[in-house]
Amino acid sequence: MLKTIKPKGWVIFLYLLVPVAAFVFTVFVPLITAFVYSFFEWKGGPNKTFIGLDNYMTLIQDEVFWQSFGHNIYLVVACILGQIGIAFVLVMVINSKLVKFKTIHRTFGFFPSTIAAVCIGLIWNMIYHYQYGIINWFLEKIGRPDLAKVWLNEPDLVMLLVSIPLIWQYIGYYMVIIMSAIASIDTEVFESAEIDGANAFQRAVYIVLPLIKNTMLVCITLCIAGNMKAFDNIYVMTKGGPGTSSMVMAMYGYQISFSQSNMGYGSCISVAIFVLSLIVIGGSQGLLKRIMREKEG
Amino acid sequence: MKKRLVSILLSTAMVAAALSGCGGSGETATTTETKTETKADTAATDATATTDAAASADGAYAGELEIMHYSTSEESQGNGGSDGFRTVLAEWDEAHPDITLTQNVLANAEYKTQIATLAAAGDLPDVFLLQGMNTIEWAKQGLILDLTETIKASPYYADYNTAYFTPFTADDKIYGYPCLTGGTCTVVIYDKQMWKDAGYDAFPSTWDEVEKAAEYFNGQGITTVAFGNGGKWQANSCFLSTLGNRYTGPEWFSSMISKGGASFEDPEFVKALAETQRLFTQTEIFNPDYNAVTNEDAREYYISGDAAAFIGGNWDESYIAATLQESDPEKWANIGFAVLPQPADATVAPDSQNIGLGYAVAINAKLADDPAKLEAAIDLAEYITGPAFSSFVAQNYALGGLTKVADVDLSGFDQITQDFYNWSYVDTTTCEIYDSYINSAVWDILNTDLQDLMNGDKTPEEVAANAQVAYEANY
Repeated sequence: MLKTIKPKGWVIFLYLLVPVAAFVFTVFVPLITAFVYSFFEWKGGPNKTFIGLDNYMTLIQDEVFWQSFGHNIYLVVACILGQIGIAFVLVMVINSKLVKFKTIHRTFGFFPSTIAAVCIGLIWNMIYHYQYGIINWFLEKIGRPDLAKVWLNEPDLVMLLVSIPLIWQYIGYYMVIIMSAIASIDTEVFESAEIDGANAFQRAVYIVLPLIKNTMLVCITLCIAGNMKAFDNIYVMTKGGPGTSSMVMAMYGYQISFSQSNMGYGSCISVAIFVLSLIVIGGSQGLLKRIMREKEG
Repeated sequence: MKKRLVSILLSTAMVAAALSGCGGSGETATTTETKTETKADTAATDATATTDAAASADGAYAGELEIMHYSTSEESQGNGGSDGFRTVLAEWDEAHPDITLTQNVLANAEYKTQIATLAAAGDLPDVFLLQGMNTIEWAKQGLILDLTETIKASPYYADYNTAYFTPFTADDKIYGYPCLTGGTCTVVIYDKQMWKDAGYDAFPSTWDEVEKAAEYFNGQGITTVAFGNGGKWQANSCFLSTLGNRYTGPEWFSSMISKGGASFEDPEFVKALAETQRLFTQTEIFNPDYNAVTNEDAREYYISGDAAAFIGGNWDESYIAATLQESDPEKWANIGFAVLPQPADATVAPDSQNIGLGYAVAINAKLADDPAKLEAAIDLAEYITGPAFSSFVAQNYALGGLTKVADVDLSGFDQITQDFYNWSYVDTTTCEIYDSYINSAVWDILNTDLQDLMNGDKTPEEVAANAQVAYEANY
């Protein structure tokens, strides 16, 4: 940058001070205080008793928490395949020469991710509704009312059913990211591939994917981070039920902290969510990088 | 090119951040409401400052007083308790121009979360509503003021219905003025005409008969009884709390409250759980989606005629009556009330229903340091739970509060309101509301398990054992 228009060091410092201070205050301070509180028995009053690692010992044996962690991992896998996978396929379709009105597709594809998760939850609640829902209505119309179910009350199905709205909502979000990445690929590459006789599938797998792998990595990281803290639309749809069949970690922490007024153990769960998320994100990045290196090598 | 990618990524992130902000707009709305209400209050105070000066002579305190409650203006539409609470609160505010009353009003679900957070932070408002099940813990932590002597010295003491104080009592000390209206948590609302068509003059008094009636109704494609447990608390508050009493009798629950040796694993309580499971999994009485819909959804089945009866609380009754009166006067005139039917193997109190005042006006213990302010807070608490409130709800809604109102004149009310008044306060016996007592951790665990129990995924014994573990660990 030109020296003349480059702001002075203290100006940059001042500009940065506000957002950094806000970030420290809203992220680091709660994180550290939660870590401190996780060593206390703190049941909904100002009195706290130091109990060392007791909360963590409880956590290790807490079946509901580990079940919730399993559900988060389920969501992560479902959403990486569903959100990013479907988004990639859709982008390839929209980018093909046969498709008209590309901007419209893009806009409408992005639309669901602009709706608040609570509304999405309510909309899908109606779709799954036993008496008035469209799924059971359709089953009845095709003469199979025996297949109709109280969808959100099926312990074995409920995780799949709550992940569908989540996947549906964010396809457009990843579509936009992937599209912008593809737009930055030199068109000559595609032209020469076409001349060489590569079909659409080969172009997608052997040309596009390797060229946008860094973006894909960002998408996967965003997706994992987003799903490790999933809360709102599941809360609206099932409140973690039936029983704990669709409980996720953040909701369990919320329930312990506020419904059961056990702030100490709730803090302990928050710390665990943070640590587990870091491990999952770090682990998956390491794994992906290794896979890519092996491919290149 | 790389820059472009970065800029697009950043803008996407910005959009996402801006949108995720939308999710929090509910809270902003609440804050706005609080602010406007404060403003309105101040305005009201200003307006009355000159005219009502005489009224302030008795209160020496001048300054701010903060109250947090959940009678929102939306809630007060048709809900007598909320309407009465807002009315008497406004009256008190007008009569005390020197005191700036700040109201923080949230919807009930948010209120519970926020008050729990404030309690944890040791930062409760001056005056607030205390839920029965928090009394013991908060008293132990020194958050709430012991009001025993104050209550005994209250000018309205003679009129108080003293039984209502029980949930707010710990170690023989009373911590609050029970407020709002005493309403049932378990009432069967049924359509008299539909049951007459099925061959019943009134709603059956035993589950066996309900099961037989279900054969008829299912043949018609109608749900016999609508119930919604999607929020997980309904099965406890609006079903088990009354059904349990039919097996255990009131002594068992008293013993649970006083830690007198009773246990969730006592065979009588397990029987109540087993009966709950049987009714929901082995009979065809209820709507199949009872675990997926809330009470708000389930009562719509009744209103639309898809169900012949509905089980819920007094808040559902006021909604159903108000809705039908407007939309379907004929169906409205056919509303009947009944107690929960008696199970075949239950032996106690066949006409009981759980009724009480779930919240009390409590005062922050910190106010003890400021006697003038404390006096104002006590005056406020006495007023909003006193005869002004009881008369208002008795005259306008035929409901009862903490103070007894002599000779409620029911003749001015429509038949349904009269029926419900008599059903609630005259014709039935009462039992306790489970979750007004003990503590939230125990009920949260039991409520979660109840959903599994009602799906047939957990046995009554497992549910009882889990609840007992939670009880021993938390109470």
